[in-house]
Amino acid sequence: MTRRNFLTSTLIAGFAASFAWSPVASAEEIQVGSHMPLTGSLARSGQSFREGMLVAVKMYNDSQTKHQIKVTLIDDETQPAKAVGAVEKLASDGAVAILGGYGSNIVGPASDTANRLGKVYITAGAVSEELVQRGNKNFFRINNNAGYLRGFEGMVEELKAQSVSIVASTREAPMLLAKGLEESLAKKNVKVTLHPFDPAITDFKPIINKVKLQDKSEIIFMSAYENDYVGIIRAAKVLKPGVKLISGAWSLAIPKMYQDFPDLMQNVVGTTPLPYPVDMKDAEGQAFVAAFKTMFNKDIDYAATLSFVKTMVLCEALGRAADAGTLKTGGLADEVRKTKRSSVLGPIAFNETGDNPNFTLAMGQHREGKIVLVSPAEQATGKIAYPGLPW
Amino acid sequence: MLELSQQAIFSGLLVGSVYALVALGIALTFGAMKIINLAHGELVLLAAYMAYFIESRTGWNPYAAIPLAFAITAVVSIAVYLLIDRIKLHRELNSLILTFAIGIILTNGILLVFASDVRSTNSPVLQDALSFHTVYAMKGELTAFVVSLAVMSALWWWLKLSWYGRAVRAVSSNRDAAMLMGIDPRRVELAAFLVAGILASVAGVALFTMSVVQPALGPALTVKAFVVTVLAGVGSIPGVFCAALLLGVTEAMTVTLASSALQELVGMVLFLLVLFFMPNGLFGARARRG
Repeated sequence: MTRRNFLTSTLIAGFAASFAWSPVASAEEIQVGSHMPLTGSLARSGQSFREGMLVAVKMYNDSQTKHQIKVTLIDDETQPAKAVGAVEKLASDGAVAILGGYGSNIVGPASDTANRLGKVYITAGAVSEELVQRGNKNFFRINNNAGYLRGFEGMVEELKAQSVSIVASTREAPMLLAKGLEESLAKKNVKVTLHPFDPAITDFKPIINKVKLQDKSEIIFMSAYENDYVGIIRAAKVLKPGVKLISGAWSLAIPKMYQDFPDLMQNVVGTTPLPYPVDMKDAEGQAFVAAFKTMFNKDIDYAATLSFVKTMVLCEALGRAADAGTLKTGGLADEVRKTKRSSVLGPIAFNETGDNPNFTLAMGQHREGKIVLVSPAEQATGKIAYPGLPW
Repeated sequence: MLELSQQAIFSGLLVGSVYALVALGIALTFGAMKIINLAHGELVLLAAYMAYFIESRTGWNPYAAIPLAFAITAVVSIAVYLLIDRIKLHRELNSLILTFAIGIILTNGILLVFASDVRSTNSPVLQDALSFHTVYAMKGELTAFVVSLAVMSALWWWLKLSWYGRAVRAVSSNRDAAMLMGIDPRRVELAAFLVAGILASVAGVALFTMSVVQPALGPALTVKAFVVTVLAGVGSIPGVFCAALLLGVTEAMTVTLASSALQELVGMVLFLLVLFFMPNGLFGARARRG
C-alpha cells in the first residue's frame, strides 16, 4: 500500500467509524429559529439571552442521542420590524419553533407573526399582560409581571414599610410593573408616589430631589434598566434622601452590577431567582452553572438563566413531539402546554393563555460582592440590612 | 418648591454644559461645511470608551484618557472627512447617508470590542458630592462644566483669532471667494473635522465622568447635539453654549414642575417653537449681522 493509499483509506475508515459510532450520526436534526437583540438598546440582555440559550441547547443535545437541536439566531437589533422579518425568514428556512426575544414591544409583533405562520413561540423576556390576552395558542412565556410584583410586594409587607417612591422608565415593561405596584401597594395602605421618567434622561437629581423633599418615602423602587439604575443611585448618593432602602426590578441584583459599580450597589435590593455565589440545589442547575463557566468563562446571570429555562422547556417539548411524530402536524404546542417541571426559576407549567402562573422571584441584597436572598422569609439566606443604603 | 427649583436650575446648567460640549463639534462642521456629521455622537461615545479603557486598566483619572481619545477620534475624523471629500454630487445630502452609515459601523465596532455593558466612572474623586447651600452636584459634573467653558473659550479664540479659524469662517461664508484668496478649502475643512474630533474626545471623557455610557447611546447624543446647534443658530459658538444651557435648564425644570416623563417632549417643543418663530436660531441672525 502506497503512502497516499494508506492515508486515503485511513481517512475513509475514520469517517466511516465516526458515522458508525457517533451518537449524533443517526440523530434527527430539528431546526429552531431565534431572534434576540444582539445590538441596539437591549443588547446587554440580548447577549445574555444568547448565552443562556446556547448552553441549554448544548446540554440538551449532549443529554440524549435521538434528537439534535440546531438553532439559527438572527439579531433583531432591538427593533420590532426586524424581529418580524427575522421570524418570517426563520420560518421560511424551516424552523419548527421560535425562541423569542426581549422586550414586550418586540415580542408582541414577532409572536403574532409566528402564530400566523403556525410556529410555537416561547419567550422569557416579555411581561406585558396583553401578550397573554390575545388568544394566541402558540405563545408561551416563562416570566410575567405578576412574578416581579409579588417579589417586591412581599418584601414591603415583611418590612412593614409605609411609603414607597417608584421611579419608573416610561418603557412598556417598567411602566406596567410600576403601575401594578402602585395599585397593589395602595390597596395595602402603603403611600405610593410614582415618578415616570423618559428613557432618555441621564440626570436623575431633579427626580430624587422630589423624593427627598416631597415624598419623604421609606423605600425607593426603580422599575427600569441598568443604565437608569446607575443614574438613579448616583443621584441618590449625591442628594442623600432620607430613605431606608433602594430597590429595583430586573437585572439589578446580579453580580455584574456589583463588579462594575461597587460604590453604588452595596445594600441595594433587586429581584433575583438565585443568591450569589450561586448555590444550585438540583443537578440541572449545577450542570448549567458548570457548562456556562466552560463555554463563556464567567458566572451565570439573571437573563441567561431565564433564557436557559425557556430553551430547555422548548427542547424537551420538541423531543417529545418528535418522538410522538407530531412535530410537523401541530403537536408541538400541545407538548409545550403539557410541561410540568421544576427549574432553577421554580416550577414551570403553562395555563391556557400560555403564561406560567408559578413564576415568582425572591429579593436579593448586594452585600460586599455577594447577593443575599432577603425575602420572602422562607427562601431567605440572610437577614436584610434595613435601613441599608449604598452610602 | 424654591429648593426644588434651585436644584433643577443648577442640575440643568451642569447637564447643559455637556450638551454644549457634544454640540460644539457638530456646530463646527455644520457651520464650516454645511455638513451634518451624523456619526458625531458615536465619536463622542468612542472617546467615552477610551476613558473607560484607561480608568479600568490603569486606575487613572478618566481625564488622562483625553490624548488617547483624541488620537482615536482624530483618525476616525480624518477618515470620515476623506470619505465625504469623495462625494462629488449633492454633498450635503449624500454626506448625511454616509455619516449615518459610519455611525452604525462605529456603534457595532464599540459593541464588539467593549460588549453591551453599561459603563461609567468608578473614580471616588469624581463621584464625591459637593454642596453649595441647598444645591448639590458631583465633582465630576462641576469638572465637566469647567472643561466645557474652557473648551468653548478656546474654540471661540481659535475661530476668531487664529489663521485657520478665520480660514474656516471664510470657507464657510464663500468657498469660491476663499479659494481666490489663496485658501485651500480641503485643508481648512480637514482642520475643522480634526478640531471637531478634539471636541468629541473631550466631550466623551466628560460624559463618562458624569453619566452612563453604552454602545446604543450614539444616535441620542447626535440628536441632542443637533437640536442644540439648531436652537443656537449657525455660526455662534457662545450661542451653542447658551442654547445648551437653556435646553438643560428647561428639561430639569420640566421634571421639577411637571413630570419627568415630559422632559424630552418639552425639549422638542422648545426646539420647534424656536424654529417656528426664529428660523435662524436664537443667536444665528445676530451673529450674521455682526
